[in-house]
Amino acid sequence: MSMAEITIYSTPTCGYCKLAKEFFVKNDVAFTEIDVSVDQDKAKEMVEKTGQMGVPVIIVDNDGKEEVIVGFDQARIEEIIAK
Amino acid sequence: MKYDVIIIGGGPAAVAAGVYAARKSMKAAVIADQIGGQSVVSDGIENWIGEKLIPGSELAKKLTDHLEGYKDVIDLKIPEKVESIAKKDNDYHVITSNGEYSTKSIVLCSGGRHRRLGIVGEDQFEGKGVAFCATCDAPFFREKDVAVVGGGNSGLEAVVDLLPYVNKVYLLVRDDAPHGDPVTMKEVEESDKVEIVRHAESQEVKGDVMVEGLVYEDNETKETHELAVQGIFVEIGSVPNSEIVKDLVEINDFGEVVVDHRTNATSDAGVFAAGDVTDGPYKQNNIAVGDAIKALLSAYDYAKKK
Repeated sequence: MSMAEITIYSTPTCGYCKLAKEFFVKNDVAFTEIDVSVDQDKAKEMVEKTGQMGVPVIIVDNDGKEEVIVGFDQARIEEIIAK
Repeated sequence: MKYDVIIIGGGPAAVAAGVYAARKSMKAAVIADQIGGQSVVSDGIENWIGEKLIPGSELAKKLTDHLEGYKDVIDLKIPEKVESIAKKDNDYHVITSNGEYSTKSIVLCSGGRHRRLGIVGEDQFEGKGVAFCATCDAPFFREKDVAVVGGGNSGLEAVVDLLPYVNKVYLLVRDDAPHGDPVTMKEVEESDKVEIVRHAESQEVKGDVMVEGLVYEDNETKETHELAVQGIFVEIGSVPNSEIVKDLVEINDFGEVVVDHRTNATSDAGVFAAGDVTDGPYKQNNIAVGDAIKALLSAYDYAKKK
């Protein structure tokens, strides 16, 4: 199991965010959730980081090396957690 | 090894076909990017029979659970992407991102995807103000002025999803008025934040880094106008995901797979189709499910004779 830190930027009404979170729970992957609908600073941070405003955004931090995944790319996430 | 049937897709139709294939003890595989279908993005589905109200993500979970209940009976190839299908000696070879599988028959439930405007700036500003999911992305447009393009039900629903956040919504429709469910219509009409822009043909998305405006032409006066908006939500219907069978089966001018509505057979004997990818008149989850079961049972009869 990967030791990477996973953060997901989401909104409460976003279906793919829920699928992504359920996927993490099902696969025993710990993650931090940021609700950008209430945290406007974090929303701004997300836009700056990704240059776009769509959720979910999933950030995988591997010892300071960040991979930014826009959208619930299940195949990519499966690869990462399989490492 | 050769499958009896390969089911392509991950929406309610594909799941229904998968469940029925398992119960018929067919050698079957379901190949999909993801389970859930287009309703995953819906905040609340109120017409899925048996549930008064269910979020799209919850429906996706239930569909996944139901399908995974048969994972020892049928093969679930998820996430996997179908790239092409070739026909050889009456068998089909389905080529995916991970491999190649041969099968006697195919049930195509590949659904549809968002139709795009196809105007200048749309691709460039996708995610930078141009959005295709109001339910998901509405909070980013707090106190902003936005446009919703599309006068159908999904356009009206996008307006309703945006109202709690935005300052103003322009709803651009091509004809005289929006057409949608009376309940949603009423909600839109009663809001003083909404301005309906009639006879509007969207022409160009303007901006620098982020969206700053939407240019449209009035199709009656032929005058061009620009709306100062920071968000543009495109809700102009869907396009069928029929590319993978375009050389195999008959497809109509709308890109839909033409099916016999009694059996869900296509013009190619071993290929059956159901749901939004077909020329069925109503694009509905419940209908897609019923049609997919017809398609699967037809495929069962077909494969048995081979």
